[in-house]
Amino acid sequence: MMDYGDAVACAPVTVPYVRRSDKAAAWWLGSALRKLLEVSGVKKTQIEGLCLSSFTLAPDGPAPFVQYVGLSPRFLEFLPFGGACGVLALRRAARAVQCCDAEVVACIAGDTNGPTSFQDLVAQFSSFSRDCVWPYGAGGPNQSFALITEHAMRRTGATREDFGKLCVAQRRWAQRNPLALLRSELTLEDYLAARPIAEPLRLFDCVMPCAGADAFLVMHRSRAQALGLPCARILATIERHNAFPEDPIQWRGGWAMDADALWSQAALGPPDMDVVQTYDDYPVISMLQFEDLGFCAKDDGAEFIRRNDFAPGGNLRHNTGGGQLSCGQAGAAGGFLGMVEALRQLAADARHALVSGFGMVNYDRGLCTAAAVLAR
Amino acid sequence: MTPIAELAAHAKAGELALQRCTACGAVQYPPRELCLSCLADALEWRVSDHEPGKVLATTTLHHSHDPQFRSRLPLRVGLVRLDAGPTTVCFLAEDCGTGTRVVVSAETDDADRAVLTAAPVQAGAR
Repeated sequence: MMDYGDAVACAPVTVPYVRRSDKAAAWWLGSALRKLLEVSGVKKTQIEGLCLSSFTLAPDGPAPFVQYVGLSPRFLEFLPFGGACGVLALRRAARAVQCCDAEVVACIAGDTNGPTSFQDLVAQFSSFSRDCVWPYGAGGPNQSFALITEHAMRRTGATREDFGKLCVAQRRWAQRNPLALLRSELTLEDYLAARPIAEPLRLFDCVMPCAGADAFLVMHRSRAQALGLPCARILATIERHNAFPEDPIQWRGGWAMDADALWSQAALGPPDMDVVQTYDDYPVISMLQFEDLGFCAKDDGAEFIRRNDFAPGGNLRHNTGGGQLSCGQAGAAGGFLGMVEALRQLAADARHALVSGFGMVNYDRGLCTAAAVLAR
Repeated sequence: MTPIAELAAHAKAGELALQRCTACGAVQYPPRELCLSCLADALEWRVSDHEPGKVLATTTLHHSHDPQFRSRLPLRVGLVRLDAGPTTVCFLAEDCGTGTRVVVSAETDDADRAVLTAAPVQAGAR
């Protein structure tokens, strides 16, 4: 694959999450745009491109949104890919900048969360899910991931304690992150004793739906440097949809098809990553990413969790903002959370970061996978 | 009639209907308007009173997003790989664990939607 030239990502911003909001999605997305301008010094008229992700923007789409916020972009992408949208926005924006389709691209994801937003989203997520999953108890994604988790536990020997170790470590990172909604102490005992949701999943395996937005900018390196913005180079990216459709149940994701290409293009490997941001809508998915992205062999995910320390001060800095499990899941912003956190870590002391995404659980499996290797 | 309405109509008659492509022979579920393999618009219904399969994974739901289900919790749900090929989301009858050989049958629920239920193969029955 062709490299991304001097396109860089910078200016990570978050519109602080709240549990419930009576604002429309456009307020969250537009507020993120305002914050991007504030922190970067870029003028609104200089935003020539926009990559937008949201589940709750309807009936508006990307074109009505740019009218709402008074932008006139010459590059506009709508990326309704849930947990994969951060990497997808990055790679599209980077190509647009590299090819001069836009000088500066704003990448924004966010959603509101009214009293029934999440339930409405799940009920009408897709035709297959509406017709062939919802009538089976309406467990929503909890149900789908419970089945994937149960299978992965049998496959790898992973226990509730293993998944709890990931959740507890992320909560400890969240305690350092004022933007995380869940910062109270979480012990392994709390995790194990929480109320069951969809066995084997209990409360702290499940993300808390909330409202919020995350965003970043993509531009030429020279412009970022002139603005004084710490920026991240894009060493490699991958994207895959509906990988391995012949698998009877999801035991691997599209990363397994593309990880070799990712590391080959980056000319780096998993041990070179100073920080790792996996998509953690449920802890089992983080384990799948460790396996499929080559941090350990397939089926070795449980042992990998046991032999690494993911908490602050540990050997593997993973989901260092607390992840969605502690920050909350602000709809499509969940797909940006790892990206903005990686950019913050790279602006601090990390040299290399991996960001991985996983989105669109439909019928029986997640369809979209993506990953990016970034360097300061 | 839409494919999902046809599925429900068969289910109301006690039949489990899977789509089969007359062009390439692929069997698919959930139903749709084209063959997922060769994209032919040449689908027929392969109807039976039940389909054999094996339970791939199970869960017990203690929480529901739909108030209609809350009085029925906990509910047991699973993924079943049908011998015919597709993976189906099913309610699970008693004694269905992961790995259990099952038969999957269809009926309609209070909203006239098709719902599938997996039950263990009776010893010696099949």
